[in-house]
Amino acid sequence: LALYFHSGEREEKCIIEDIPTDTLVVGNYKVQSWDIHKHGFLESAPGLGMFVTVTSPNGEVVLSKLYGPQGTFSFTSHLSGEHIICFQSNSTRFAVIAGSKLRIHLDIRVGEHFLDESAIQAKDKVNEVNVRLEHLIEQIHHVTREQDYEREREEKFRKTSEETNSNILWWAIVQTLILISVGIWQIKSLRDFFISKKLV
Amino acid sequence: MLLRGYGTAGPWGWLTLLLVACAAWASEITFELPDNAKQCFYEEIVQGTKCTLEFQVITGGHYDVDCRLEGPDGSVLYKEMKKQYDSFTFTASRNGTYKFCFSNEFSTFTHKTVYFDFQVGEDPPLLPSENRATALTQMESACISIHEALKSVIDYQTHFRLREAQGRSRAEDLNTRVAYWSIGEAIILLVVSIGQVFLLKSLFSDKRTTTTRVAS
Repeated sequence: LALYFHSGEREEKCIIEDIPTDTLVVGNYKVQSWDIHKHGFLESAPGLGMFVTVTSPNGEVVLSKLYGPQGTFSFTSHLSGEHIICFQSNSTRFAVIAGSKLRIHLDIRVGEHFLDESAIQAKDKVNEVNVRLEHLIEQIHHVTREQDYEREREEKFRKTSEETNSNILWWAIVQTLILISVGIWQIKSLRDFFISKKLV
Repeated sequence: MLLRGYGTAGPWGWLTLLLVACAAWASEITFELPDNAKQCFYEEIVQGTKCTLEFQVITGGHYDVDCRLEGPDGSVLYKEMKKQYDSFTFTASRNGTYKFCFSNEFSTFTHKTVYFDFQVGEDPPLLPSENRATALTQMESACISIHEALKSVIDYQTHFRLREAQGRSRAEDLNTRVAYWSIGEAIILLVVSIGQVFLLKSLFSDKRTTTTRVAS
């Protein structure tokens, strides 16, 4: 767990994962709390936990659990799109002491199929290549799913561009028509007005 | 995020994996950076490790962000303002915690979505060559080359996905702007034209007596 960042005590930090459907996402985290007396991060803080919330692209919550200071969570996406993974500590310290913060270590793996190390040790040479091939096939499936998702998104992109194009054309025509008709109305109205006022 | 770490075979496999896995790590995170905010990430790196930091802004405003990479002694290794995309490779000159920050402090109201990929060390080899008794069989070398090719496919796919997301975000922005500005213009046009006529009429009706005297 190498990469870490800082967060406020009650602050919610979210990361976005844009993934295709049927993809397994596994996350590992570790949270440490700042001790003002020691001016350092404690190795473990009893009672400190993290709420992990995963929201799917259509807004429904896929995962919402309270884990301890260190934990692993995973979920499989049923929809393709932006899944939002949020972390918030369960710290109940309302009086936020100046300088209190949390250090969150994070490691998230998307779509990786993990090799069972002990199975490799037990099997012989032939099966080792077998296992490698299975892993490669899993990777290729992941690439294929990503490509399908990419195709969906490109279609949406193309629709948006075409909609913009027709919007521009349509609104330009409407504005020209408004301009012409309002211009005609203006002249007619003024002429009638001046005639009625006996100025013309 | 993708972690590229693979298992090894044989009794020494575990040891090799442990030694190599400690040296190689890749973290990629996509996060939202609110306006006037700065987000920093830290990583402990061993001296001599070759690291690469790559980032790209996916949505928001002018699609740019400030990035800054500092070494353990506070020395600035990389600093760029308002960059849309960049890739920076460096070799860690000392042990310690390296820090990189993304800042959106120059922006007043646009949130930015930033993606970064921080690769530490080289990826471990698929099949370790240190403890081999014989040369690699054809199957094994085929596996290795397929693995390398797949790694670069996944890498290119990620880049493509990001570019497409950025393009789509711009297109959607454009679409919304066109719709709102067109409606706004049409309304302004109507209001101003009708307003002009009534204003003119009101100018004449107030000074009625003065105008008739001038006319006759």
